[in-house]
Amino acid sequence: MRLSAITEFFSFQFKTIKRSRFGIFGAMILIFFGIIAIFAPLIAPHELWESLRDSSGKLAILRQPCLEFPMGTTAMGRDILSQMILATRTTVIIGLTSGLVSVFIGANIGLFAGYYGGKLDEVFMRLTDIVYGMPFLPFLIVLISLFGRNIWFVIIAICCIIWRTSARVIRAQVLSIRQRQYIQAAKARGCSDLRIIFGHIMPNILPLLLLYTAFNIAWSVLAEAGASFLGFSDPNNITWGGMLYNLWISGKIRTAWWWFASPSICIILFVSALVFISRAYEEVANPRLRQR
Amino acid sequence: MQEFIIRRIIYAIFTIFAVATILFFIFRIMPGDPTAQIISPALDAASQARMKEAFGLDKPLSIQYVLYLKGLVTLEWGRSFTSSKPVFDILIYRFWNTIFLMGAAMCFTLIIGTGLGMLMAWKRGGPLDVGATVTALILQSAPPFVTGILFLMILSYQLDVFPTGGMNTPGMRLPSGMAMLFNKDFLHHLFLPAMTSAFYYLATPMLIMRDSMLEVTGSDYIELAQAKGLSPKMVMIKHAARNALLPVFTVSSVMIGFALGGQVIVEKVFSWPGMGLLIVEAASSHDYPVAQATFLMLAAVIIVLNLLADISYCYLDPRISVSGGKK
Repeated sequence: MRLSAITEFFSFQFKTIKRSRFGIFGAMILIFFGIIAIFAPLIAPHELWESLRDSSGKLAILRQPCLEFPMGTTAMGRDILSQMILATRTTVIIGLTSGLVSVFIGANIGLFAGYYGGKLDEVFMRLTDIVYGMPFLPFLIVLISLFGRNIWFVIIAICCIIWRTSARVIRAQVLSIRQRQYIQAAKARGCSDLRIIFGHIMPNILPLLLLYTAFNIAWSVLAEAGASFLGFSDPNNITWGGMLYNLWISGKIRTAWWWFASPSICIILFVSALVFISRAYEEVANPRLRQR
Repeated sequence: MQEFIIRRIIYAIFTIFAVATILFFIFRIMPGDPTAQIISPALDAASQARMKEAFGLDKPLSIQYVLYLKGLVTLEWGRSFTSSKPVFDILIYRFWNTIFLMGAAMCFTLIIGTGLGMLMAWKRGGPLDVGATVTALILQSAPPFVTGILFLMILSYQLDVFPTGGMNTPGMRLPSGMAMLFNKDFLHHLFLPAMTSAFYYLATPMLIMRDSMLEVTGSDYIELAQAKGLSPKMVMIKHAARNALLPVFTVSSVMIGFALGGQVIVEKVFSWPGMGLLIVEAASSHDYPVAQATFLMLAAVIIVLNLLADISYCYLDPRISVSGGKK
């Protein structure tokens, strides 16, 4: 019975997304990127750092998109298409991990603060205030420059900050749910606090959780791209932001439009897919926003 | 009301203090020699030892922490490793540059955003509504370095309408103080970075204004205003928009805080000599005193902005301070 409730929930969410034009567009793009991320090493035609030569044996430096190199090459003669495909995988890993972990942290802080109230609420909310006071990208940059350029430090640094919004929003929602009668009834029946929190309150904020998972993935991808663009990224894993950093320091920005276009379009598509899905959600959560 | 404001101020001071404390520990648990963050490794052994004593680095962590806090309050923020100028002097010049850029960008975002949002709610479902929603969402998904580089490629490199970066044309001196704000050359340089930042955040006030207008439109007092026979334009601007502005106000104070953190990228792309560029330079050259002070300054600005928003919000919507005061 539990399982059927879960599948019903997800099929309802799916229908929600399907009902909006924005939602369908977003879901299709995400599935596309997901497939590329899974099969990245198989699809990529060349090695990441391989300097390529064309058929006549010359180094293929800064080639415009052509048959041999469908998306052109970099100033070091590396294939942009392969870099983009492998960057998709890194981006999906960073986005998914930090998106899920940060929502997990934010949801728990919001649930406990909102349910228990009092001292615990005060402590958690002051903590959230402190994190709100931290400038996100500078924090990322400082942490990465101190602890080393490693993909896991990037994820940890992102998670440290990004939970703040979900915690505040979820706490506010829990505060209003806590007053409802069925919660009082559950209390009267002698349910334990944990059971009320995770069994009775949590199902009601699931749509909000999904919404913030989408937001947090989008924000972490943007933050990671920003940090990489500034030169603070894992040198072993290429990302879209890192590709743009390579372009920036190569000084070829005036001419190499293809090198700029491909990673930029990828970032915009990926993030806007998530933003469109969350917009579809918001329209459903707030029926007044729906057209007609 | 007064009690509410005083409590908010105390919270803000506590928050700044907490951020400073976190920063202290982050910079001291980093791998490697912790003294390397304060004393330049380029100095010879004797002066390193002298510096160590001067900064109290030979003392236990707890005393170091007290000295650190004392240094913060008395504006003794150390010296830069790279230029060996006092950090405070470097920072104060960069501070205003960032504030000017931020101010211009946020004014533009808020004015255009709320205006468009109002129109979208009015012509709901029309081409303007759908078009502006999609455009704003895409702009929000395009990181500022993408829009910034695109602007540079088209407007600077190809058409040569705007300068490629910096705050003034090389060789031209900007007047100091407020006169700078009205300097033509300065505004010419300000335009592209300000637009880049403004476009990125446009979606937030615009969509909130639209949604909040739609929300308000269902209220009784709007129906009353319509029943009085006021023109739809009057109802929209005088009655609906005023109340719809409240959520925009709340969200934009948080947005400006986020924008300040994101300013780093815009300043990097347009080589705008602000705090964002400073922290990037400091972090990549391991100039820790500068990085630490800049971070703290950015955090302080964000916290003060949020405090001001809280206080003005309780004047705009007195219900907040009443329920907040009793909590």
